[in-house]
Amino acid sequence: MNQRDLELLSVYLDGQLKPSDSTRLEARLQTDPQLASVLKDLRATRSLLRKLPQRRAPRNFTLTRQMVGQNPPLPRTYPVFRFATALATLLFVFSFGVNTVGRQLASQTYFGRGGGGGCDGPDCPEVQSFAAEAPAAAPVAATEAPGETTAPLAQAPLAPAPTETAASTDAARIVDTPAAKNAGETENAVEQPDQSQVQNEAPSPAPLVPSIWQIGLAVAAAISAVLMFLMQRIAMSRWRKE
Amino acid sequence: MNEQALITDAQNGSLDAFNTLVLHYQDNVFNTALRILGDEDQAADASQEAFISAFKSIASFRGGSFKGWLMRTVTNACYDELRRQKRRPTTPLEPDTEDGEEMDSPKWLADPNMTPAQQAEADEVEHAIQHCLNNLPLEFKTVVVMADIQGMDYTEVAAAVRVPLGTIKSRLARARLRLRECLQGFAELLPASYRLEEGMNAS
Repeated sequence: MNQRDLELLSVYLDGQLKPSDSTRLEARLQTDPQLASVLKDLRATRSLLRKLPQRRAPRNFTLTRQMVGQNPPLPRTYPVFRFATALATLLFVFSFGVNTVGRQLASQTYFGRGGGGGCDGPDCPEVQSFAAEAPAAAPVAATEAPGETTAPLAQAPLAPAPTETAASTDAARIVDTPAAKNAGETENAVEQPDQSQVQNEAPSPAPLVPSIWQIGLAVAAAISAVLMFLMQRIAMSRWRKE
Repeated sequence: MNEQALITDAQNGSLDAFNTLVLHYQDNVFNTALRILGDEDQAADASQEAFISAFKSIASFRGGSFKGWLMRTVTNACYDELRRQKRRPTTPLEPDTEDGEEMDSPKWLADPNMTPAQQAEADEVEHAIQHCLNNLPLEFKTVVVMADIQGMDYTEVAAAVRVPLGTIKSRLARARLRLRECLQGFAELLPASYRLEEGMNAS
């Protein structure tokens, strides 16, 4: 029995052979007892298989939502709260960024105005005129940029400072000069706290986003997040009960 | 049962619709898995996995025989189960030959230590057939289970197994031949009514 004949018999058994091939095979079956015997055995085998009892499933294989990873149905308002939470959080973080950048910009403007453009030396005309012509503004200048008033300090021994604050600042800077050595440590000790006091009193720029707004955003984000959490829990508990 | 409507609903995410299909086909799926794997517990696990997989991929069903599509899914689940078994081998029920291979002969059933009652139980046709099925190569077993046990036609089997029709015919013929050879060892155990019926059918 070759493979070709075996396949012919099997297909013939299932009635899937072409009519012409069936006719030829049936003629062979009449004259070939071995072929007929194999066909009989194949038919018996197939019949046996078909008689195999169909077992009932030992349990139902119906699926639950957990099995297929489906999420519980959330309320229709859930996306609104999700959006609100995200937006409030984003704005909250953004407000901090805005305030930080605003403070830095204000500081840069402040130092640029008080520094006098970095002029250094006794020949600086701007500072000389500033000190001479606007004595009332001297304290402001000294207050705003104490570290950049080198020019008036250098001139202090030659010309007295127009104001008391400027003079005291100048004196603090020139203690090492011969003319100032007589001033002694007492004067220096008295004037140092004045300088630090002046620095502490420097006005900080007002934040662009008020704190009340930031608190409001944080509260809104927190409330919205809590509501989302509650919605999820309620939906999950209902879903499990179903 | 409007199968097409249920399939469409299931494709739209309706788990209830899919579960109706599950209840309709679960016996077929379980029996296919049982005959391929030869173990009820493993067959139940494979069936459950097959239905989960089927639901997740039902969007890919493009018409045709839904039963054939399900059979392909359960066949894949059975292959996965067999691969797991290979990774975690267990002791087979069948004794090994001297070469270390499982014995094809059902002589193990004729254990002299067995009582007549046990012998009679072991003679059950179902056990004999399952034993012979277990000894078939997997690709032959899959085809013969689908065609002869589940009653699927050649086209459905070819679609389920994804091999050409000619290959299905060849595998089925060879599977039947091997089963015949195996079942010859059980000839005296088969019920007389079966032999009489076959004799009538064959004539």
